[in-house]
Amino acid sequence: MDKQELMQRLKEQIIKQLKLEGTKPESIGDHDPLFVEGLGLDSIDALELIVLLQQEYKIKLNNAEQGQEVFRSVSTMADFIMERQAKQV
Amino acid sequence: MYIRSASAVSPQASFNQMLSTPAVYTGDKLNCIEPDYSKYIDPKLIRRMSRIIKMGVAAAMEALKDAELSMPDAIITGTAYGCLADTDAFLSRMVEFNEELLSPTSFIQSTHNTVGAQIALMLHCHHYNNTYVHRGSSFEAAVLDTQSLLEEGEAENILVGAVDEIIENSHAIISRFGIYKESESNKLLNSGTDGTMAGEGASFFVFSKNKEQNSIAKLEDVKTYYKTGRKAENIIHNFLMENNVPVENLDLIILGNNGDSKTDEHYNTVAQHLFGGKRLVGYKNYCGEYPTSSAFALWMATMMIEHGKKINNATSPKKILIYNNYKLKYPSLYLLSAC
Repeated sequence: MDKQELMQRLKEQIIKQLKLEGTKPESIGDHDPLFVEGLGLDSIDALELIVLLQQEYKIKLNNAEQGQEVFRSVSTMADFIMERQAKQV
Repeated sequence: MYIRSASAVSPQASFNQMLSTPAVYTGDKLNCIEPDYSKYIDPKLIRRMSRIIKMGVAAAMEALKDAELSMPDAIITGTAYGCLADTDAFLSRMVEFNEELLSPTSFIQSTHNTVGAQIALMLHCHHYNNTYVHRGSSFEAAVLDTQSLLEEGEAENILVGAVDEIIENSHAIISRFGIYKESESNKLLNSGTDGTMAGEGASFFVFSKNKEQNSIAKLEDVKTYYKTGRKAENIIHNFLMENNVPVENLDLIILGNNGDSKTDEHYNTVAQHLFGGKRLVGYKNYCGEYPTSSAFALWMATMMIEHGKKINNATSPKKILIYNNYKLKYPSLYLLSAC
């Protein structure tokens, strides 16, 4: 799966996990900020995204600070997942 | 204490529609007719709310609007089962993912006090907030706490209510006890066989210490018991005596019979011996049976007083008694008078 496909899948999973009814994957920009601006997510959503990473990609965040970098946008999430998956191989 | 407003999300669309063309349900349960929540709840908040939270918030906001009150001095809620859908989601994930990867939203919102807390968050209300989880007397406990706060001068206006919901899993589990049956809700009270139909609802009220211009009714008294062992006739008789209300002064008696022949005998005895079978009306054909259904009965009584409409030929009731006895363990009584 290339990054573009992964980002599309992530957008669909974020919408489902966070119950963002009325939001379509195409309305989420690859580099749009996920928190405060952009999707306007909050700290509870951050916990839901950590669960999403573990559940769907078997990836655990090492520390909370890492989350700020990883969850900046769909693009940074995809980069993080691909980097971890490459290490696992 | 006085009732300034009453609002309910119930299996009936509205009080007026309940009088003219009540919603009729076939099966073993009555589910709520839900309003357009976008009128009450910010779309950003609504995505995390389960059905019972939305029902509770909508009923509470409507009650506050009708009372023309923006900030209550306290929020008090009663619920027997709490937020079942979130509890179900949380527990199911615990099993599915071996107690890992638990959804924080379901966990946070699975607690019984979520509805009261959510209302407070939306209102930015930092005042007294309590939720009573006392099975069949949860709403009564909430009302008694309301009464105490008002009488002690701790509050002037209190938002009080009750919520309970049916979800698929809980209904399947409770059904194993054989307490529900297939019926038609409009024929339920005369069905004469074992079992009843399940129900659910959210009812909220604004109670005030003093009579206001928009007060609808005075709640003269409320009492609740648990496995008292005393005869219902004696309990009701004493309750009326304590309030100096002879039976003949009651315009209407709302009873909690639910169509289950095992428990309806109890209500039939009360109806005949104490009230001579007159001025009686049931309510569980409208809302089904659930532990906090007496809140629906209080909503119905308040609406009847407010609208002065009639049910079963009881015209414009001014004084109403409600008697419910959930599972014949939790007898409760309410006495209302028109303002």
